Amino acid sequence: MKQIVGVADMKVSNNPRESIVTYSLGSCIGLVIYDPAVKVGGILHYMLPDSSIDRQKAALRPYMFADSGIPRLFKSAYQLGAAKQRMRVYVAGGAEILDQQGFFNIGKRNYMALKKMFFKNKVMITSQDVGGNVNRTVRIEIATGDIYVKTSGSGEVKI
Amino acid sequence: MISLQTLVAEVKNLQPIPAVAGQLLAVADHPDSSMADIAKVIQYDPVITASVLRTCNSAYFGMKHPVESIKDAVNLLGVDQVIELALIKSGSQALGGSQKGYGLDAGEMWKYSVSSAILAKQVAARLSLKGKNTIFTAALIKDMGKVVLEKYVAQSSGKIADLVENQHFSFQEAEKKALGIDHAELGAMIAKMWKFSPRMVNIIRHHHLSDETKSVDKQIAAVYLADCLCMMLGGGVGSDGLAYRFKDQVMKELGFSAVDMSMIIADFGINMQEVEALLQMA
Repeated sequence: MKQIVGVADMKVSNNPRESIVTYSLGSCIGLVIYDPAVKVGGILHYMLPDSSIDRQKAALRPYMFADSGIPRLFKSAYQLGAAKQRMRVYVAGGAEILDQQGFFNIGKRNYMALKKMFFKNKVMITSQDVGGNVNRTVRIEIATGDIYVKTSGSGEVKI
Repeated sequence: MISLQTLVAEVKNLQPIPAVAGQLLAVADHPDSSMADIAKVIQYDPVITASVLRTCNSAYFGMKHPVESIKDAVNLLGVDQVIELALIKSGSQALGGSQKGYGLDAGEMWKYSVSSAILAKQVAARLSLKGKNTIFTAALIKDMGKVVLEKYVAQSSGKIADLVENQHFSFQEAEKKALGIDHAELGAMIAKMWKFSPRMVNIIRHHHLSDETKSVDKQIAAVYLADCLCMMLGGGVGSDGLAYRFKDQVMKELGFSAVDMSMIIADFGINMQEVEALLQMA
């Protein structure tokens, strides 16, 4: 069974027959977490760094923003028995258009928002594939915790 | 390099965008047009009419009574929505296929096109621009050059990838260097052969703003900006990825801030089911 995480969406699972996938991360970030001890994993696909631009939309779609989405992803995994100190963390996406700089570089800002939250909360990134000018699709298999990334136009690669 | 004759022959083999699209645009963005004028143009094309009515009667719009004519549809959904449906239906045949040269499966580029058009509508509204239907349509069909060029892009994929990855070319610049023409120029040529207005041809030709001076044309700038937003959002993006140029200067000229950009992305995130519903149109 394949669980699909849409844009501004999140899914967690502890079902070993499932994989979770999110498609077409441009400047958006796909945050993948996995606790191997209890085999609980999840993916968040957020679009923007900061919910303060529109609190109403954040209330309606908390997974749209890094600051409102990331805590919810971790909490949902904790509810299935995952623990923070065991969590493997993988980050994909945050791509940018050529010459896209400063505040217009939403991809980089999306990534920085995550780094800031992780620093504050002492979460380490296990590995990542971020930035550049490519579009990525990311998938995790719950049974094994194996993560695969596909860049548009080429094949799927295991991390 | 591809010869012009080869390309002209290929364009002649394409299934063209129905004439109704051009006629509809001429009427829709004319200030003196009435709803009746618009309905008349759409009704002239029975395939488009049937498709628009089918969509109006789909669960998405939740109508209590069946919509049986374009006039009904205009009354119930508003003229803008009906124009958009007709334009989208017009483009779906020509753009709905796969473009393997760009790493796109069937329907992916079409999803990108519809998303772009909806983003362009949001940009036009946010900047209060004139000619919103022209902007919407240009964003919808701007990549049709890729339909023809994809085969040649595939043949030169190694060279193009090298130019982009190692020599700091944008994908469009690499197309031009490797093939002698890029998808924007070819799209403009197709639009001209299909008798779209000079305005539309011009927007398609410059939709990546490789000539930055064209940004004084606000419609071109809006279509360009919507394309940037759509690339960032990622849906339906091919192997060319985000390898196009971003122009800070254009944002300044338009008075478009990073906050405006985030707000449009957030709006799109909320209204994404609109794209899905439009894509499900037969």
